[in-house]
Amino acid sequence: MLKMNNVTVRYPGTEQAALSDLTVTLNTGEFVCVLGKSGAGKSTFIRCINGLQRPESGEVILGERQVTGAGDEELRKIRREVGMIFQHFNLIPRLSVRQNVLTGMFGYRPSVKNLLGLFSDEEKERADRVLRNVGLEEMASRRVENLSGGQKQRVGIARALVQNPSVLLGDEPVASLDPGTADYVFRLLQEMHERMDLLTIINVHDVDLAKRYATRILALKEGKLIFDGNPLDFDGGMFEETYGSRQVSAPGME
Amino acid sequence: MVWFKKSNFITLAVLAVLVYFSMRLTEFDLSKFRDFRNMIEFLSQWFPMNFSELPDMVEDMLETLAMAFLGSVFGLLIALPLSFAAARNTAPSKTLYNLMRIGLSFVRSVPEIVFGLILLTTLGLGPFPAVIAIMLHNIGVMGKLISELIEAADPGPQEAMKAVGAKNWLASLFSILPQIWPNVLSNFFYRFEVAIRTSLILGFIGGGGIGQRLFNDFKTFQYASVSLDVLIIMVMVIAVDFIGSFVRNRVI
Repeated sequence: MLKMNNVTVRYPGTEQAALSDLTVTLNTGEFVCVLGKSGAGKSTFIRCINGLQRPESGEVILGERQVTGAGDEELRKIRREVGMIFQHFNLIPRLSVRQNVLTGMFGYRPSVKNLLGLFSDEEKERADRVLRNVGLEEMASRRVENLSGGQKQRVGIARALVQNPSVLLGDEPVASLDPGTADYVFRLLQEMHERMDLLTIINVHDVDLAKRYATRILALKEGKLIFDGNPLDFDGGMFEETYGSRQVSAPGME
Repeated sequence: MVWFKKSNFITLAVLAVLVYFSMRLTEFDLSKFRDFRNMIEFLSQWFPMNFSELPDMVEDMLETLAMAFLGSVFGLLIALPLSFAAARNTAPSKTLYNLMRIGLSFVRSVPEIVFGLILLTTLGLGPFPAVIAIMLHNIGVMGKLISELIEAADPGPQEAMKAVGAKNWLASLFSILPQIWPNVLSNFFYRFEVAIRTSLILGFIGGGGIGQRLFNDFKTFQYASVSLDVLIIMVMVIAVDFIGSFVRNRVI
């Protein structure tokens, strides 16, 4: 369970708050999509959850743990239970698919073992199992820079899942992918979400994708929460309010 | 003249003035080449080459290579961790970052030959002080180059490593080193080449190797040996350049 109480984030040198006085509670089992224009605070919201961004005021509570105000060691313990995937995948270049997935276990292991790459058979088996789950077992020894965008994001997902997370965060994970691949990635996320009983929180630009997969939608505008509810209730009026323009259908689609 | 602005002509004029004064200061005068006959006569004494000392020369060449190699390898090994402390995005603290920056630029500003001359007083003549001199200067140069590579690296992977709960230093190492590695190697091979030339100069002040032999042969007018020394040096530099590009291509 994630609780945010009156969270305000302001970036140095800016007048307007990136997030202002945001209060929300999200529960395990929910597949949450966060909508909003660029600069509405979606990224900031996601990054507050695992402490990549420190709020100016307010508190973030994840399960039993206080994210805000956590020291370095405590923060690492929180982060290792929170998987995160990114728009640009953020994989480690020159390493293989399997090696990238193994880095997902870094938070649980002593640094010296991580540095030397000493993994137990059980850990290697776990990485291979996750790779099978995302359908990349045959790519395991390929270097990640030789993969397609969709495959890279699946590596990103595998790296997050190998953490055995209770929460999965996605910061625009499909914004660099073509529509078909984006849909595939969402289907995979939904499948993993159900199998592992996660709280999944994902930023998206594509409202249709959000309505298709989310069990709950949050919409942000200028750092404020303007919608929190059932995807079915996110209608044309809400679209207009969120994006400041009317939802247009392609000609002949009326 | 549609391609040119007024400021272009001003730049040109400033450049011309600078060139003129630089020529005055360096006594630049092409007409002095009318005595080039002397040079031809001098160069003719270089041939035929004297091969009698070839084995010793090869040994000295290996010594020079070893000096340059050790000076650059140790330089790299020491510079690599230092540059993470000297890069804005990975430095553990602002103070350490500033100290490292100042330290590196200080070390870099001292030419190898000055380090060599100072070290001679405690270490005596020979290749050892030359290795240390090359290493010190290389720490300064590679520290700067590598820390700039670190600062230009994509921050995405570093963020991902932090997000999985890795320790900060481990996150920096794993996310940045693979990104910059080909460029680090490029820099290393370039510095290795420079170090060969430097160790020749350090040979002139008693640092050993083929540089010292070249200097001695020259001072004792043994031009038939000088020519072979020069040939060996050329072959050595070309070989290192060749091996360097081979390794770089294998890595990238």
